[in-house]
Amino acid sequence: MSLQMIVNALVNAALIAPPAMAFSLLFGILRFPNFAIGGYITVGAFAAYTLNVPLGLPLPLAAAGAMALTALVVWGTHVAVFRPMQGQSAITLLVVSIAVTLILENVIRLFYSADVRGFDIPLQRPWKIWGARITPEQLEIIVWSLLIGVMLHLLLAHSRIGRAMRAVADNPMLAAIRGVNAARVTAFTTALCGALFGLTGVFAGLDLVIEPLVGWNLTIPIFAAAILGGIGSPYGAILGAVLVGLAEEATILVLPSTYKIAVGFVIIAVLLLVRPQGLFGTAEIKK
Amino acid sequence: MAETVLATRGLTSGYGKAVICQEVTLDLCAGQITCIIGPNGAGKSTLLKTIAGVVRPMSGSVCIAGREIAGLPAATIARSGMAYVPQEANVFRQLTTHENLTMGAWTDPPRTDAACARVYGMFPDLEPLRRVRAGNLSGGQRQMVAFGMAMMLEPSVLLLDEPSAGLSPLMVRQMFDIVRRVNAEGVAILMVEQNAIEGLRIAHRGVVMAAGRVALDGTAEALLASSEISDLYLGTRA
Repeated sequence: MSLQMIVNALVNAALIAPPAMAFSLLFGILRFPNFAIGGYITVGAFAAYTLNVPLGLPLPLAAAGAMALTALVVWGTHVAVFRPMQGQSAITLLVVSIAVTLILENVIRLFYSADVRGFDIPLQRPWKIWGARITPEQLEIIVWSLLIGVMLHLLLAHSRIGRAMRAVADNPMLAAIRGVNAARVTAFTTALCGALFGLTGVFAGLDLVIEPLVGWNLTIPIFAAAILGGIGSPYGAILGAVLVGLAEEATILVLPSTYKIAVGFVIIAVLLLVRPQGLFGTAEIKK
Repeated sequence: MAETVLATRGLTSGYGKAVICQEVTLDLCAGQITCIIGPNGAGKSTLLKTIAGVVRPMSGSVCIAGREIAGLPAATIARSGMAYVPQEANVFRQLTTHENLTMGAWTDPPRTDAACARVYGMFPDLEPLRRVRAGNLSGGQRQMVAFGMAMMLEPSVLLLDEPSAGLSPLMVRQMFDIVRRVNAEGVAILMVEQNAIEGLRIAHRGVVMAAGRVALDGTAEALLASSEISDLYLGTRA
């Protein structure tokens, strides 16, 4: 494996690690795999595009705006769609979440068409490190992704709201008995994860292109990373992302790059057969 | 008679349309232990869950220190000076021992450190396990964590659902010792116990539940002495 492939794998990993962590956190609190993440990411990408290109804001400001807007959208869909369906089976909610993605995606297609777009940023020459090329944007994605990992860790391990998030994910009934307001924790978690999906939309726009399917194309790798790390375990999701990134690049060695997208599916299928709790998850024993 | 700290009146509850507890009326006096016994499925655990707000009452009233709490959410009842220890899933398995204890002071964060020190004093065995995840503890250690969590904010009323369930005989004795010690500090305890004889021995009053209703209510001594009870529920005679 060449250095270039490792660089590419790291960029892939950096792109999918934050949303995989967010996916895991959401799963922990809401107890169903939320496939609306594709729609959320697309919303983030187009929000940043709208602020950056037609409205002319500098990209960092546009990114912040996109994060805020996506947080609002994720919280809003939770309140309007998923909360009224509380108590339905995880499978029902999963199907509903796919519908949410289709709706979000097509609303965006309605207003923006299916054209491929990009941010208004100066074109920069890629840097060369020992023969491997990396664009400044890609390096930024890696650095931000690392920062987000550290910040999420600090939040989960050392803050009051982080402890509440873990407690509710672990044992919602006991959390209520100890006085934790689950509604507030859920609102915070959906908004936080929304911000991360929004940022992922920005990163995807930087590294890939902005189009209505941008989020959908990332959904399977994100899901694969999250279940590889053990669903509901945000730290596992980081390593899951690195492994998915490496696996995707390794596939190119033996198969045409069009098959790259299938890697996530294969990982999911093999894992569900061999180790359904994920690499780092613990098997849950049900009485 | 001592002052009543917890009282239910005609409390009826269940799951969906199934009624489990029917018209339960009982009193818990300050500083006393009331032990609820009865066969499986009698509604003992559901009664505690209803008092704690985990199961919503269908009708009836629950008063703690004279204040009506029936129908309030569990997270609100948690602020009423009453602490509930469920029988199962009574610790946060992914959180460390210490984090579990801190969750016991969730409603009053400034007291966390002092309360932790007090609980470690009560359960010295937990101190070296501070950083161990509760999911990796033994059954007895987990029970101590669950109990310690409930004791963090010095509740005036404690609801215990089968504190001895799943423990070794040695641990059962320790657990009952702890219950007695906590009670000696003035905490009123409403306890469900399958181990009826042991439970009644440390209790002041006993309540026998059957088919969701209170079948008998009396002093623990009287229940222990009653041949009817020993035949039906204590299994002391063949």
